[in-house]
Amino acid sequence: MSDIHAYQSLPGLRQHDSRPAAEGPLTMRGLLRRPWFIRLVAVGVLVFIWQWVTWVNTRVPGIDEIVRFMVTEMTGGSHGGALTGEFWEPLSLSLQRYAIGLAVGIPAGALLGLVIGASRWARGLFNDTVLVLLALPAVVWAFLASLWFGLSSAGPILAVILTAVPFVAVNLAAGVRNIDPGLVEMSRSYGVPAGRRLRHLLLGGTLPSAFTGLRLAFMTGWNSLLIVEWFGATSGVGWRARFWYDALRYPGFVAWIFLFVILITVFDRLLLSPLERRAFQWNQQPTLTFEEEL
Amino acid sequence: MTTAPTVAPGSVSALSARELRRAAWSRWGYRLSVVAGWAVFVGVWYLVARFVFTPQQLPQPHVVATEAWDVLTQRDFSTNIQASILRVVAGFLLALVLSVGLGLLIAYSKWWRRLLNSLLLFIVSVPTVSFAILSLIVLGISPMGPIINAMLVATPYITMNLAQGLTGVDRRLIVMSESFGRTRPQIITGVLIPSSLLSILSGARLAFAVAWRMELLTEVFASSEGIGFQIRRSFESYDIRGMLAWAVLFIIIMLLIENLVFRQIERRLSRWRSPEVGTTQ
Amino acid sequence: MATVLIENLTKIYPPTLNHARQVQALGGLNMSITGNVFVAIVGPSGSGKTTLLNIVAGVERPTSGSVRALQEGVPAQIGYVFQEPRLLPWRTVVDNMLYVQDRKSDRSRREAEFYLQMVGLSEVADLYPSQLSAGMQQRVGIARAFLVNPDVLLLDEPFSHLDALTGRSLRDYLQRIWLQTRKTALFVTHDVTEAVELADRIIMLRPGGVAYDDIAITLPRPRRPADPAVRDVQDEVLRRFDAMGAAVRFGTAQAAR
Ligand SMILES: Nc1ncnc2c1ncn2[C@@H]1O[C@H](COP(=O)(O)OP(=O)(O)OP(=O)(O)O)[C@@H](O)[C@H]1O
Ligand SMILES: [Mg+2]
Repeated sequence: MSDIHAYQSLPGLRQHDSRPAAEGPLTMRGLLRRPWFIRLVAVGVLVFIWQWVTWVNTRVPGIDEIVRFMVTEMTGGSHGGALTGEFWEPLSLSLQRYAIGLAVGIPAGALLGLVIGASRWARGLFNDTVLVLLALPAVVWAFLASLWFGLSSAGPILAVILTAVPFVAVNLAAGVRNIDPGLVEMSRSYGVPAGRRLRHLLLGGTLPSAFTGLRLAFMTGWNSLLIVEWFGATSGVGWRARFWYDALRYPGFVAWIFLFVILITVFDRLLLSPLERRAFQWNQQPTLTFEEEL
Repeated sequence: MTTAPTVAPGSVSALSARELRRAAWSRWGYRLSVVAGWAVFVGVWYLVARFVFTPQQLPQPHVVATEAWDVLTQRDFSTNIQASILRVVAGFLLALVLSVGLGLLIAYSKWWRRLLNSLLLFIVSVPTVSFAILSLIVLGISPMGPIINAMLVATPYITMNLAQGLTGVDRRLIVMSESFGRTRPQIITGVLIPSSLLSILSGARLAFAVAWRMELLTEVFASSEGIGFQIRRSFESYDIRGMLAWAVLFIIIMLLIENLVFRQIERRLSRWRSPEVGTTQ
Repeated sequence: MATVLIENLTKIYPPTLNHARQVQALGGLNMSITGNVFVAIVGPSGSGKTTLLNIVAGVERPTSGSVRALQEGVPAQIGYVFQEPRLLPWRTVVDNMLYVQDRKSDRSRREAEFYLQMVGLSEVADLYPSQLSAGMQQRVGIARAFLVNPDVLLLDEPFSHLDALTGRSLRDYLQRIWLQTRKTALFVTHDVTEAVELADRIIMLRPGGVAYDDIAITLPRPRRPADPAVRDVQDEVLRRFDAMGAAVRFGTAQAAR
């Protein structure tokens, strides 16, 4: 079976501009080039597209409606009739399931990836199986999990685990195999002990692909959690979105979907990106050159 | 203090038969372990299906295989499969066209690069299920949903790889071409396109895999035909056998397209690259 | 006193997927090196020079024959300078050096800084390799080899992919440091002038990894490349090197010497 390059990294996905942007005097041209300004433009573009869609298609709620709905939902206010807002309960439940699933899936995937990367035999044995798991659409896992476990929390958790494991494993295995054999030879010739090799060579060498795997596991795990909750749960954020959809309350439905996106983005910004920046501070441009002082 | 080195008599020696056998074993052993891997996979499936689950909960592999065969030979397979493939191809081609424009903007303008970078990264980081569900209310149940979603998720991958291919072109080759008085079109067709084609292709391959899954997911939510719809229908009638059969077909189609289309193009394009030979350091 | 004893050393690479035929990298090599000598090993590309050093360093195993690198009867500590710098890109220069050092203490950091200073790099201890030029990285590689206080120093064309000027200045560094420390050294190169400038003894390998010639160099140190005496020896060695090329081409190499 071929190796499916499923979701290896997107170039630029982890390329941070580590150099601080030049803060010149605030001219009009300078303003246009500030990163925050450009990000603002990007947000503006998205908002504009959304508003344009609401204008063309009246079923789609406007942003103001969505925000108002979410505020009611968060404050537990009344949506009219007997419906009151619920926010923290579904949210905390989903986050709990997500955390448990990742806490199991990531270490398991990492272990599998290390074994596959380190040994040719293990690679032959497990590689294709992992690729099949990777190719299997998340929705199939979600359906299986909810048919097996009914409406309990076990289904969503299992779905998160099963989607996270192959992503972490594939990327980590690639990372191990891509370690420069020259560096391994160097370590052997100096007799560097195993513990130090693990910490400095293996960890440093696999960190970039480990981050890719981690990020993909976070993304796809969240995704399948939502799918399971949408189809086979009576609690959690996916269920809440489904609830408003079935009630034909589109602002509520869209509000929850926006929340999915906001949560994963915030999580990335607050946790993964800073970690990544710290881990990759060595990857800078040359700043010094050979100075002739002989 | 030093002894003169001697030239070994009959210096062209050979590996012993045992060593040659060991070398051959290490080459064939890998293939053997791949076969063993498949045996383990199917074997574990059998055991789990037999001892952990009921046949309704997890059918045995051969049951799924027969079901897949039945699906393949029945008529609504071709309508479903055709619908899915046509949609993903349409979405993919749209993404390709869009990406050429965006990729050029990114490669040649810093401002656009910053702007599109953040937009495209945003698209990549959105859980795909949100796109699927949103298309349900924006477009309703229609073939447009899968097409547009496939396009949406494929675009970042192609665009980024295209831009990277273009900016990653060896500057020295361009300077060399200019110094020999080549014109701009000549440089574009002679240097830029050939050297960035492989990067574009690897982006396209990835994009196709992503689009194919997105298309399936959208069909699960908002379609009345296609593989995704069939998977959902099986799920709603508790038919795990049918669900797995369709999933297996989904994977097989993906592999076929991978190997028959993208691999072949890649092989053709990368002929000029030297094969990896054991070289001296 | 360190000794390197090589007896009937043969290395044959088995056929691989890319290369259908087996390759003889070394064919029955014998040599014995004792004491604080600087031995240069010269030979054309593919004559098994890197393979030889890798076997001495214990990175590769011989097909047959034996290699012993001993210091007072116990296995010698090896310091290896590679063709490329081979630094961990994600560790700072000083951490790269400490990576190969067994004792971890305040003192070993000071030691690392001492050897960095010796190669003229006292300022860069806390920079990452990517922030250094190629020549500076190679000097870090040399400092790293000296840090482990090696009994036997292996150098594999350490200057071959640097520009001529940088190569020359690094060669001067190496000569100076070697005069201070006088470690037993095996220095691989394909540059005959470089070999004459640095070595007490030059061993020529011909393709197939067979020793062809062994020349003692008794010029006084420090040697300057412009010195007429050095020039004369260089000419003589070059002549023999060319003779080897011709002998290999006409298939008479077996009978040499
Ligand atoms: N890992 C390997 N597998 C198969 N063949 C190899 C391997 N390493 C080296 N060889 C072969 O052994 C021979 C000697 O290689 P070696 O690297 O020792 O040459 P060298 O003298 O160092 O050459 P150079 O001056 O180019 O560095 C070459 O023909 C090479 O192709
Ligand atoms: Mg070599």
